[in-house]
Amino acid sequence: MTTLSTPPAPSAPAPAARPVGPGGGLGGTALGLLRRREVQLVVAILGLFAVCTALHPQFGVSSNIAFILADSVTIMIVAAGQTFVVLGRGIDLSVSPVLGIAVIGTGFLAQDNNLNIWLALLLALLIGAGLGMGNGFLVSVVGIPPIIATLATLTIYGGWQFIICGGQSVISVPAAYNNFGNANLLPVVPWLVVVGVGVVAVAYFFLTRTVTGRSIYAVGNNADGAFRAGIPVRRVLFTTYVICGLLAGLAGFIYLCQIGSATSTTGTDSNTNLMSIAATLIGGTTLLGGRGSPVGSALGAVFLSEALQAMISFRINELWDPAGVGVFILIAVVADRKGAPVRQMFRQSFRQPTRPAQ
Amino acid sequence: MRATPISPTARRARARTAGRQETAWVVTVTVLLVAVLAYFCLAVPDFRELGVTGVLALCEGFLFTGMIALGEALVIFTGEIDISTGAMASLSGIVMAALWRDGLNIWLAVVVALAISALGGAINGLFVTRFGIASLLVTLGTQFIFGSIATAVGGNSPPYNFPKAFVDYAGTGTVGPVPDQLIGFAVIAAIVWVVVARTRYGRGLVLIGYNRAASRYSGVNVQRTLLSAFVASGLLAGAAGIFVSGYYNAARDDIGDSLLLPAITIVVLGGVDIFGGKGRVSGVIIGTFLLGFLFQGMLIKGNSSLTATMVGGIVLVLCLILKIALDRRAGVHLSELLRRRFGRVQQAPAVPDA
Repeated sequence: MTTLSTPPAPSAPAPAARPVGPGGGLGGTALGLLRRREVQLVVAILGLFAVCTALHPQFGVSSNIAFILADSVTIMIVAAGQTFVVLGRGIDLSVSPVLGIAVIGTGFLAQDNNLNIWLALLLALLIGAGLGMGNGFLVSVVGIPPIIATLATLTIYGGWQFIICGGQSVISVPAAYNNFGNANLLPVVPWLVVVGVGVVAVAYFFLTRTVTGRSIYAVGNNADGAFRAGIPVRRVLFTTYVICGLLAGLAGFIYLCQIGSATSTTGTDSNTNLMSIAATLIGGTTLLGGRGSPVGSALGAVFLSEALQAMISFRINELWDPAGVGVFILIAVVADRKGAPVRQMFRQSFRQPTRPAQ
Repeated sequence: MRATPISPTARRARARTAGRQETAWVVTVTVLLVAVLAYFCLAVPDFRELGVTGVLALCEGFLFTGMIALGEALVIFTGEIDISTGAMASLSGIVMAALWRDGLNIWLAVVVALAISALGGAINGLFVTRFGIASLLVTLGTQFIFGSIATAVGGNSPPYNFPKAFVDYAGTGTVGPVPDQLIGFAVIAAIVWVVVARTRYGRGLVLIGYNRAASRYSGVNVQRTLLSAFVASGLLAGAAGIFVSGYYNAARDDIGDSLLLPAITIVVLGGVDIFGGKGRVSGVIIGTFLLGFLFQGMLIKGNSSLTATMVGGIVLVLCLILKIALDRRAGVHLSELLRRRFGRVQQAPAVPDA
């Protein structure tokens, strides 16, 4: 920052192209590997685990690990869906009520009519996809900015969930649901974690190995360019919202199996929205679109779950949980800003014209 | 930046069109407001029977949302967003109440709470300007943090039952038929309107959202202006927190949570472009009353607040569809629309000019 008197020319060289896709542009060296958010997160998860176990041996017992993993599954799946939308440079604020309606819709049928569990799964997926289509329609056909469109559907779906409930709540579900929700594959691995990992794996392969998946990265990176390259931009965007809704519906089904009860504010009261966005961001997907992966988001979800559990171990009052999430988000986004040393940011003067903030 | 060369004549024509569109939208929202009031007067006897005084008193139930919306609008004009305002309102109310409980004079407590709100806004602004992080992320993070602090400060039983003078002034007092809150809102709204529409600073604020590079080259101090927008947003959210605590005569750590979405709805309903650079404060003011009366009217009609919120969402979507249709008719080229929708190229951190 020595030559502040000359602002960069308007046609300053474009910043180096961001690597496209989860695997792009990284060396195979150990240092290069450490630059990957997924690796950083694995290190963070294991490190936090080691520290907590060293200080509180109770933290490392298998039941606690199982709890952390099981606790993260819902957010993991919602975050995987959120990743699709964010990769396409969108955002979905309506996942809370989508999850909620899926829980309520299937929950009442399960409770009152003893709905078959597989039919319930199908129903939850259909509900999620249907509501996702609503978002996709508003964003890609009508052309409302994503943050506003999904803000509106957040209130609309939320009201709808309330109306569906009509003052009732789901109190209990058939045993089949509970058994599925609480069964363990191994002592430390709940079945649902397998489901969660499976979903993330499918999402990863979809994004990296299919034309539609690659198109999402392309659209998120540069919609104009993608449009000119013949990618059906609107259809791709529509797809991302449907997938996001679908996965929120699936998460709703899993929530129902795990918890077994639901109210008119389920989904909204547990902050599904912001938690899924937080997991996605911590996982290294940027809101600018075109960079990130569902694997990172899943790790982000596990990290959040673990960190919140750790805060309990350290007897930090529960009321600081949201603050913890907030701090992690800030750390993640500051860490994401590569190439501009922190020191330099502070040296930057307010008095002189400097480079644009974004 | 996207440099699409256009002739000066075309540019002037486009500016004129944009201005006309903004005016058209303010008129549309005004018509909607009149329609909503007329509907409730004709269809809901309980609403009609309130009379002028009663309808004015209804304003007390939503003007604090309007205050948040005004601050939010300042940030959205610049192309950024502040989603920590709801939590900030809670925090401000709680801080004020806690200080008062601990023996501080209530008006002094209000001043401290406002100062803390401004400080919180400054923290948001510094993260955005110094670290160059997208404001959505920063305020998403600080939202959680402010909320937690509010919960911690409030404790198990947040204070209530404030001195009468305070409740009268900030909450439910009136001057003749006019609620004190309405006077407070009018003053704040007038200041914001004058600053945005009539000062060099305000025009720079909007220009930043329209074209950040251009604003920088025309001498706007982008960083400082952005910072000030976040401070103003925090301050107004803090003021809203004070008013809402006065209105309910109690402080709660989650009191502001439900105010954020309506506030953003008001800003968008008021015709402010969510990507910045376009919109009018008058639209936001009218939008406050439109959404507020819609909500209050539905409550009086007997709908639940969630249903009313849902109708607010539907109105927002319908208004946006209408706005997009109007914009298209006004001759905005399709490529322009496409670009606006998909091509919002945010500049990655530029090469450090060292």
